[in-house]
Amino acid sequence: MSSIPAISVVDVHKSFGPLAVLKGVSFDVPRGAVVSMIGASGSGKSTLLRCINHLETPSAGEIYIDGEPMHFRVAGDGRRLPRPIAEINRLRRDLGMVFQQFNLWPHMTVLGNVVEAPRRVRGLKRGEAAELALECLRRVHLLDKAEEYPARLSGGQQQRVAIARALAMQPKAMLFDEATSSLDPELTDEVLAVMRDLARDGTTMIVVTHEMRFAREVSDRVLFLHNGLIEEEGPPEEVFGAPRSERCRQFLSKYLQ
Amino acid sequence: MSGALAEALNPALFWEYREILLKGLAFNFYVFACAAAAALALGLGAALLRVNRWRPVRWAGTLHVEIFRNAPDYVMVVWVHFVLPLLLGLAIGQRLEFPPFLSAVIALGLVYSGYFAETFRAGIQSIPFGQIEAGRACGMPERLILWRIILPQVVRRMLPEAVNQFVSLFKATTIVSLIAVPDLMYQVSMVTQQEMRPLPLYTGAALTYFAIIFLASSLVRAGAERWRQKVYA
Repeated sequence: MSSIPAISVVDVHKSFGPLAVLKGVSFDVPRGAVVSMIGASGSGKSTLLRCINHLETPSAGEIYIDGEPMHFRVAGDGRRLPRPIAEINRLRRDLGMVFQQFNLWPHMTVLGNVVEAPRRVRGLKRGEAAELALECLRRVHLLDKAEEYPARLSGGQQQRVAIARALAMQPKAMLFDEATSSLDPELTDEVLAVMRDLARDGTTMIVVTHEMRFAREVSDRVLFLHNGLIEEEGPPEEVFGAPRSERCRQFLSKYLQ
Repeated sequence: MSGALAEALNPALFWEYREILLKGLAFNFYVFACAAAAALALGLGAALLRVNRWRPVRWAGTLHVEIFRNAPDYVMVVWVHFVLPLLLGLAIGQRLEFPPFLSAVIALGLVYSGYFAETFRAGIQSIPFGQIEAGRACGMPERLILWRIILPQVVRRMLPEAVNQFVSLFKATTIVSLIAVPDLMYQVSMVTQQEMRPLPLYTGAALTYFAIIFLASSLVRAGAERWRQKVYA
């Protein structure tokens, strides 16, 4: 059982009309591992991440969450049937997603944002959900802001609330979509610190990022995407230390000067 | 001239008939409340059609909005009361008649659902899409996203516009006397026929409507503003 990867991406393609964004991407994320995806804008990193939790539907290929296919199910007679949206929603609960733009719900307090999904989606009782939410807020060091509205928080604090909101679903893996890209440098660090803590605690994570130092330090594996394909992959010391592909070398040279 | 003004502003006659006039006013409120509920429900439905991903569904929503928003209140009230029962009666092969109150509620509910639909639609489309995706990413079904994330914000955003529409709707309830709903205007015209003193009666009715609308909309606006500030400060 433990040999089944937490997330398995198998030959995923995605096109928007005539534009092929992903052209056959495959990789596994073992349980407890941190996989970083780097690459230039438009290389398909975010699209790939969004395919994993079905915010985008792959044009071909399949994603497995703990061995369970995300987009189809196998009927009794062995035929593959597309999953109804209710089942996809059930699988999505296992994937916490953190967005570049935080996407908090502004009409709810911080606690309200974190409590919402455990309470309404997982059906926890009010007290249980609040307890869980407070524990998640403690992990992102925002217990004292529980009763504030998001508009009163800094960008870094908002992003940490978004992380707590995703954690509150007790997901099997966390997906970070450029979580620090819209933050000022001084606010980036507080978010990266929280992500570092999560990685240390053994959280399975896929991180799309432009923070090369963070990727190098935290990841077990790094994928470099180029033109919708994995151009290079390996442990961080290899990808950052001795990249084999010329494109990867060029890309990194811009960041590591 | 000043005699006429004094007569117009003399509240004695209005006061004398207060009981029957108040009953009439109650009908304005009944019609208003029922038509507002119908308009909100139909308006929300039409707005959801208007933002649906399938084009034919969107067209159906647009059709609803354009038909009812462009129908004058008066024409609609008369049409629903006199023509709609005939059409429905033909369809089911039976003579059909609507009570005036029902006709008034249907007609005004339909007309104002067109306005509310547009207000709802603008509100729904003003919610950043990322917030909806965040809900989906948490495994929330669309229905839950609508009720917990979209609508609470839409209601806050549309309140100032909705207050204006509620005011218009309340004003529009005065035309239901045309199909003999016994509202304030209907009672005033009845009393006028009896007393032959239109000046104080119609002036009294005008002042009553003004006072109610002014008070209610001021209160709602103040309350709505405080509510909005609490969250978006």
